[in-house]
Amino acid sequence: MTRKTIKVNYLARVEGEGALNVTVRDGQVSSAELQIFEPPRFFEALLRGRDYSEAPDVTARICGICPVAYQMSSVHAMENALGIEVGGPLRALRRLLYCGEWIESHALHIYMLHAPDFLGYAGAVDMARDYPDIVKRGLALKKAGNAIMALVGGREIHPINVRVGGFYRTPTRKELAPLAETLKQAREDALATVRWTATLDIPEAERDYHLVALHHPDEYPMNAGRIISSRGLDIAVEDYNQHFVESHVQRSTALHSHLREHDCYLVGPLARYSLNFDKLSPLAREAAKEAGLGATCNNPFQSIVVRSIEVLYACDEALRLIASYEEPEQPFVPHEPKASEGFGCTEAPRGLLFHRYQLDAEGRILEAQIVPPTSQNQPSIEADLKELVGGWLHLPADALRERCEQTIRNYDPCISCATHFLKLDVRHE
Amino acid sequence: MHETALVKNLIHKLQAICAEEGADRVVDIAVWLGALCHMSPDHFSDHFRQEAAGTCAERARLQIETSDDINHANAQDVLLQSLELETDDEALQ
Ligand SMILES: [Zn+2]
Repeated sequence: MTRKTIKVNYLARVEGEGALNVTVRDGQVSSAELQIFEPPRFFEALLRGRDYSEAPDVTARICGICPVAYQMSSVHAMENALGIEVGGPLRALRRLLYCGEWIESHALHIYMLHAPDFLGYAGAVDMARDYPDIVKRGLALKKAGNAIMALVGGREIHPINVRVGGFYRTPTRKELAPLAETLKQAREDALATVRWTATLDIPEAERDYHLVALHHPDEYPMNAGRIISSRGLDIAVEDYNQHFVESHVQRSTALHSHLREHDCYLVGPLARYSLNFDKLSPLAREAAKEAGLGATCNNPFQSIVVRSIEVLYACDEALRLIASYEEPEQPFVPHEPKASEGFGCTEAPRGLLFHRYQLDAEGRILEAQIVPPTSQNQPSIEADLKELVGGWLHLPADALRERCEQTIRNYDPCISCATHFLKLDVRHE
Repeated sequence: MHETALVKNLIHKLQAICAEEGADRVVDIAVWLGALCHMSPDHFSDHFRQEAAGTCAERARLQIETSDDINHANAQDVLLQSLELETDDEALQ
C-alpha cells in the first residue's frame, strides 16, 4: 500500500444543482419543471433509532441557514408526543431565538442573495463595490440576528442550547441587556431596509395564491398556532397529514406537497404577512403602509419588502421579549419518555416546517417525517415560472436564465445558492 | 440545500484527483470552513458522509479547521486544503 499527501487549496463551489426544464408549445409555456435537491430525507433516516433527545441537535444540521427552525419544529413535536407544555419565560426565550433566526436568515436573503438581482449584479460582492454602505447595513443586521442566536442558542451556526422541554442553560437578565443595545440599532437598520427595498424596481406580477401559514390569536406566528389558509382551511397541527399530501416526483429528489382539496399552495413571508397582518407590531404595520403594501400581498417579487417588514417586526419583538424577560426557575420542564406520536409545526423564515415523530416506550425514534417549506412551495414556484416565462421568451438565453433565477429566489435562501447556477433548458415543441 | 451543492462539488473534486493520481481511496481530508459559510464541523461531516457514500472518499477521515474571521477573503467559502491518498500496491504493478 502506498500513501501520498497532496496539497490542494481548492475552493468548493456550488454546482448547478438546480435545473429548470421549460416546454413551449405554439408560443405558450406548457410546462415548467424545477429539479432541486432536498436533504431532509437523509436526516429522517439518520434519526431513526436515535433517542428523542437527540432530535434538536441532529435536525439543526439539516440547514446552516435555518437551523433554529428545524430545532423548534422538532422540540415542539417531541413535547407534543410527551405531553408537556413549555410556557412562561422558556416560551418567550424560544420566541427570542426564533427572532434571531428570522433577522439573520432574512438579512442574508435580502442583501446577499436577492437585492443583487434587482440592481443587476451577479452577487453581493459585486454589489458591495457600488453600494458599500448598503451591504454593510445588511451585514450589521445579520450580525444582530447572530448575536441572539449565539447568546440564547449557545452558538451561531448551529445552536446547541435547545433541548426538549426548554434549554440546557437560560440567560440571566444581565446577560440579555447588551443584546437590547444591539437590537435598537438593528431596528433602525431594519426600518431603513424596508424603505430601501420599497424603492427597488419590482416587477408587476400578482398571482392568485392559496396562502398557508400558522395563525395564533395573540401573536405574529413563529412557534405556535393553527394552520390556516386564505381559502378557509383552519386545522390543528396534528391534522396536517389529513390535509396535505407529499408525492414523489421522478425528476427530483425532493418530495412535492399538495393540499388534498386545493392542490398547490404557498407558504412563507407572503402567506404569513397576508394572513397575520393585524398581529404585526404598530411600527411594522406603519412601515408596511409607508412602503406601499396593503394588508395582503400577492406579488412574489414583493417578498423582498415583506421580508424586510418581518425583520423589523423581529427586532421590535425581540426588544419586547428582552424587556419583559423574567429568569425562569428551571431551564427545562422535566419529563419521561413514553410510547407516543407527536407533531410540530413552526414558521421557518422561508415558510411552514412540519415534523412528526413516533417514539417507543424508551423514547427511541421509530419514525420521523420532516416536510420542509421548499417541497411545499415547489409546485407554486413552478406555477410562477409557467405563468411568467412566456412573457420573457424573447430575451437572450442568459437574461432569461437570470429572470428565472430571480423568480426562484423570491422563495428561499436555501435553494437560492443552488439555483444561482440554474441549468435552463427551453424546449420548443 | 447550499451545503448539499457545496459538498457534492467537493466530492467530485476528490474523485477527479483520485483518478488523476491513480489512487484507490482518500484516507484523510483537511478542510477549512470560513466564518460565514454556515456550516459547523458536525454539520459539514453529516453532509459529507451522505454525499461520500459509495465513492472513493467513503471512509476518509475528516480534519476540519474552522475560522472565525468574518473579514477573511474566503469567509463565505469551504476550502479543501490537502488530502492523503492510498493506492493498493498490486494496482501499481
Ligand atoms: Zn434552510
